[in-house]
Amino acid sequence: MPSQPFALACEGGLDKSSSSFEMLRRPGAATLLENFEVDIAGGYRRINGYSAFGGSSAANPSSEDAILGLHVYADGVIACSNTNIYFSLDGESWLQLNKASVAGGGDNYTAFTGRSAAARTSQGLAHFTTYEGDTTYGEVIITDEGSGVKPFYFKMTGSGALSGRTYYAKEITVSGTHYPKFCTIHDKHLVVAGATTAPNTIFYSGTSDIDDFTTTGSGSIVLDDQVVGLRSFRNDLIIFCKNSIYKLTNINSSSTIAVQPITQNIGCLDGKSIQEVGGDLVFLAPDGIRTLAGTVRIGDVELGTVSRSIQPVMKFIADNIGSYNISSLVIRDKAQYRLYYGSDSTGGSSKGIIGTLKTNDQGFTNFQWSETTGIDASSAAASGFNYDGVERYYHGDYIGKVYNHDTGDNFLSTGGTATNIIAKYQTPDLDYGDLGTLKTLKYVKVSITPEGEVDTSLRIRYNFDDLDSPQPTDYSLSVPKPSLFGTALFGATAAYKFGAATDPITKQTVEGSGKSNYFRIFSDNQNSPYTVNGIYIDYVPSGRE
Amino acid sequence: MATTYLTLTNELLRESNEVALTSANFASAIGIQQFAKDCVNRSYNDIVSAEPRWSFLATGESGATDPMYGNVYVETTAGTRWYELKAASSSLTTDYGAIDWKDFYLTTIGVSGESAPYTSKNLSFMTLEEWKDHYRESENSDDADAQTWGEPRFVIRSPDARKFGISPIPDQVYRVWFYAWDLPTALDAHGDAIVFPDMYSSVLMARARYYMAQFKENAQHAAFALDDYKRGLRLMRSNLADPTPRYMSTDML
Repeated sequence: MPSQPFALACEGGLDKSSSSFEMLRRPGAATLLENFEVDIAGGYRRINGYSAFGGSSAANPSSEDAILGLHVYADGVIACSNTNIYFSLDGESWLQLNKASVAGGGDNYTAFTGRSAAARTSQGLAHFTTYEGDTTYGEVIITDEGSGVKPFYFKMTGSGALSGRTYYAKEITVSGTHYPKFCTIHDKHLVVAGATTAPNTIFYSGTSDIDDFTTTGSGSIVLDDQVVGLRSFRNDLIIFCKNSIYKLTNINSSSTIAVQPITQNIGCLDGKSIQEVGGDLVFLAPDGIRTLAGTVRIGDVELGTVSRSIQPVMKFIADNIGSYNISSLVIRDKAQYRLYYGSDSTGGSSKGIIGTLKTNDQGFTNFQWSETTGIDASSAAASGFNYDGVERYYHGDYIGKVYNHDTGDNFLSTGGTATNIIAKYQTPDLDYGDLGTLKTLKYVKVSITPEGEVDTSLRIRYNFDDLDSPQPTDYSLSVPKPSLFGTALFGATAAYKFGAATDPITKQTVEGSGKSNYFRIFSDNQNSPYTVNGIYIDYVPSGRE
Repeated sequence: MATTYLTLTNELLRESNEVALTSANFASAIGIQQFAKDCVNRSYNDIVSAEPRWSFLATGESGATDPMYGNVYVETTAGTRWYELKAASSSLTTDYGAIDWKDFYLTTIGVSGESAPYTSKNLSFMTLEEWKDHYRESENSDDADAQTWGEPRFVIRSPDARKFGISPIPDQVYRVWFYAWDLPTALDAHGDAIVFPDMYSSVLMARARYYMAQFKENAQHAAFALDDYKRGLRLMRSNLADPTPRYMSTDML
């Protein structure tokens, strides 16, 4: 009987919600996509690793105290840890920012470092917002979920070494002893909310006067629900509450300012999950990741979520939200939204999800998902453009380290040793159009785009991994790094192969038969990333038994 | 070294592009692997049952006790007519696979206490019907009365094929030599070897391939394999079962 061809293109991302039979018709989707990301250029790409911010000379901001928040600012990064706030250009040394009695006209470096600390008592997970204004780097406001201190204001001017810059820092009094947890800049106002003493009240500063809540344009509004996050979105301020979402409009008009409900049936589980991506706000709701637009349009039904394909994961997060911290960031050049969840005890087994905005064949743009394991980023993660306009990504862990996010070919142990990235991609069970016939596989061709030397394994399991079906041992798939003009070096490494294709197809003869089978491509090493584009299968169909 | 069960099974699995077995997981084979094992065993049985008197199934080497012909003997007891062909066997499933009923030989040579002159004679095969009609009554009467018995002249086959009888009922101890072939033993452990020469393992593989192709509903492949098997079996018969020259002779003048 002649052999038959079958090809699948890797697209669709992780699908944990569909039944195994539904997945028979979605061969390009993945039932397991761990430490892979959906590539906007097609295929599933093994994710990058991360590296210590500061490299081999990296220093912790505050001993081994957890990183409570990170924020890309100026030409460096701000980190909150213990009861302090720090800034660093290179990760090798950290400048403490939470200083008291800083001169209104700014301190030089010597004066600033000589000031006493304005301790961030009971500092919890921190929230940041930047008011760009007309200053060089903008002004940063920092609040934290400990709700034990006032919002903190910081501004820096000057360039070059930190010793040559000018520093402005102070605490901002909002109202009496209210210490809000959340902050955002909206239409020339600083808006804060969520104080333990007034959890359902939002306060907004004077117009173009972000450090004063008493001047013209300032005020407060009491809501029905407790605020968990704030985000300015186009002309509106979106107020995320526990069980509802509101929008504040016309903040600059005392006569028409209004708070209107968007939905009073769905809230936000964690303000740290709110990000703007793809022209919309996304946030973690009890039923999954939602977009604001979808929630406005559809309301509280589950159809409004964009994470239906990974609903079991979302349910797990929602069920454990009380014991997990949430962090999120956006990687714009990959059109990615990343959310990490975990606690100080999850360590190297911490998990996360990656949503990539991708347009499918029908022209619809949607999120395609994958998972991460081993990135302990739930305490703090941040992305943003620095002063040079370059997007930077960072994350911090519970033992005080700050990392460059999404870079390199390895993870790091708590001791700083490079560790492998364990990546797994698994197709659904493929029935090749008919689940009733026996198929004997002859060979497969895997299209892999290498970014370096690739050393992966291919696993085949028949009949839904049936224990009564003989299963072959794993096959090794190796792809040499192609010598590309302008990048390869003579004699640099044997990993380069002259004349190798940039998108090679690796043929592997395989064995075994079944009525269906899945493929798993996985790696456990510190090699460069690679992208799995698709799989071609040659098989011989047999009759029905 | 003779081809083993594992080797044959793996050859069939590889031909079928299936996952091969190892000595470690051979006993716990599942699915198509177990089916491949079954195919090999079924083919093995097909070959050995195609010719019960394959030379490689002989119970023992002929003439091992020179100059006796036959490869097995049973000693008679005075006054006893029926003897199990294979005394150690408890049922037909463990008896000999075949007996040459035309070649029974009775002698006192080798019998304890006997000395020359010895008795040595061929026993002629007599059908049960003939013996029953002409000899049974007189021999049974003698056995119940005078017990003179006699020197056996005939061998008869019991209806259940498990025993042979001799007529007359023996009057003393004799050795009855005959030629027997064993039943084949099914292959079981991974190291079990086939009993015929390795060069004929291809015949077994052809038959196993036939079963595998049938399982995979590949009729064309099965037909090819069946042809291979039939041709191979003919060669085996020619080479192993009937290799002697054939003559036609006449004494006409």
